[in-house]
Amino acid sequence: MKTFYFFYSKTNTFTPQPFIQMRISVLLFISCLFVTSFVQSQKVSVTYSGYPINGNTKKDSSIAAFLSTYRDSVSKSMNVVIGFSVSGLTKHQPESGLGNFMCDGLKNIGEKVFGQHIDAAFVNYGGVRSYLPKGNITVGNIFELMPFDNIMVLQRVKGDSLLSFLNHIADKNGWPLTGITLAIKDKKAANVLIDGKPISADSTYTIANSDYVANGGDNTNMLKVFPKISKGYLIRDALLAYVKLLTDAGQSIDAKIEKRIVYAN
Amino acid sequence: MPINRRKFLGQTLMAGGSLLASSVIDKSYGEYFAAKDTLTILHTNDVHSRLDSFPMDGSKNAGLGGVAARATIIEQIRKETEHVLLLDAGDIFQGTPYFNIYKGEPEIKAMSMMKYDACTMGNHDFDAGLENFATQLKHANFPVLLCNYDFTNTPMENKSVPYNIFQKGNIKVGVLGVGIELKGLVPDNLYGNTIYKDPIECANKTVDSLKKQGCDMIICLSHLGDKYDSNKVSDEILAKETYHIDLILGGHTHQFFSEPRKYINKNNGDTLVNQVGWAGLQLGRLDYNFERSRKKNLLKANTVLVGGKIEK
Repeated sequence: MKTFYFFYSKTNTFTPQPFIQMRISVLLFISCLFVTSFVQSQKVSVTYSGYPINGNTKKDSSIAAFLSTYRDSVSKSMNVVIGFSVSGLTKHQPESGLGNFMCDGLKNIGEKVFGQHIDAAFVNYGGVRSYLPKGNITVGNIFELMPFDNIMVLQRVKGDSLLSFLNHIADKNGWPLTGITLAIKDKKAANVLIDGKPISADSTYTIANSDYVANGGDNTNMLKVFPKISKGYLIRDALLAYVKLLTDAGQSIDAKIEKRIVYAN
Repeated sequence: MPINRRKFLGQTLMAGGSLLASSVIDKSYGEYFAAKDTLTILHTNDVHSRLDSFPMDGSKNAGLGGVAARATIIEQIRKETEHVLLLDAGDIFQGTPYFNIYKGEPEIKAMSMMKYDACTMGNHDFDAGLENFATQLKHANFPVLLCNYDFTNTPMENKSVPYNIFQKGNIKVGVLGVGIELKGLVPDNLYGNTIYKDPIECANKTVDSLKKQGCDMIICLSHLGDKYDSNKVSDEILAKETYHIDLILGGHTHQFFSEPRKYINKNNGDTLVNQVGWAGLQLGRLDYNFERSRKKNLLKANTVLVGGKIEK
């Protein structure tokens, strides 16, 4: 572990007791008259260290006891295994297997829940809160991945507004998405293809987002004007349902990077 | 305290007399300035409901973090040093199923057990609604500091204070808190009538008041984020645009600083900024040693000279 030292001096910042302060001021006054460059000064040195909290640290028994009651009931519902991942999934930009898994899940389950075709589904990058470990996937893993009680909503958006949303995504270095491929060029979306066809400004597309993003969260104001179709269905529930669906089909949770978003420069 | 005129005159004569021999000045000066005051600041940010350590699942942070281990380290430091301030820069809530189920109760209770001195609010502390945050504060034995949110007509009205003053030995420490802009970040319905005010303006006003109350050191808990590509207000901007903040303990951007960052503030002095990542993976520690001494050359106020790097 590293320790860093800082030293800094302050002039007249120390506030001593009035009696001493008076004496100091008198000394200083006379010093100024008789002694050149005699200045009261306070030396402040700062030492820095960061303590990593690791497994070698002994656990405080009273805190551990306090937590155990909460943990027991949390574990009961959260430790249930619902899937398996061969390699594990982590978040990356501009694209990641984890982001692709989440968006594919939203589109797949969303189409069933809403009973209609969805052109594209998104997750804001900041909304991907965790990872999926190698091995067993539990309910708790999905809760940590999507802890928010965000609701899935559909919006029918015009191509030009969708493009401005995609430009925002490009500006933010890429968010997870499905149904669309694009290149990030000069912080803007280029070569945008929806279902393999170039985006059309006048066409209308059905997109799935969290209510957070559809309401302008993460500075997505361009989406706010479009009406939201909601069934009150949680994003997290869609992800849980998708893991179960893949597991029932005998598949592991191992989405790949498919060049949905690439850097053009 | 009114100045005792007679004592004052006596002191003046005494001091004048002592000036006859310069060595006497050094001695009498040294008498009052030999003392050393130490303040240990411990801090966390963006713990995000990480009460347990990360599970042993082969992932990057497996086995790391957890409040029970943190509490041991804090307790150990309290045994070794007298004056400790334990602070949190917000986003206490959200991120593990504990929060989904218990809405922050064990998080706040654990902080109270560890004897946190103060915290500020992060954007995710709004996640279960302001009423919930206010409810969970019933379990807190420490103040929530915010000088730039106006909570009038919200469940948080009168539940936070702009600052708190801590007397730690000879050192009077003023601690204030600033929160991030909510619009576009926190869903409108969650922050309700909360009014976000300019953090720079509010911080300067608060710090001014703390200075007038005689604070020797000023710490700002901030959930603004360390810095951005855009001109969005951040700890970097806060440090440069305020007058008397000695230390900003930040959060929101989940940055692990390898060492505190140093900026020149509006008073031409130095302001340090520190942040310790997230999830309680680290406990930050800054030891301030206040040593009064006589200097022959006038040093610039609050100049931080970066010294040697020491391997622990």
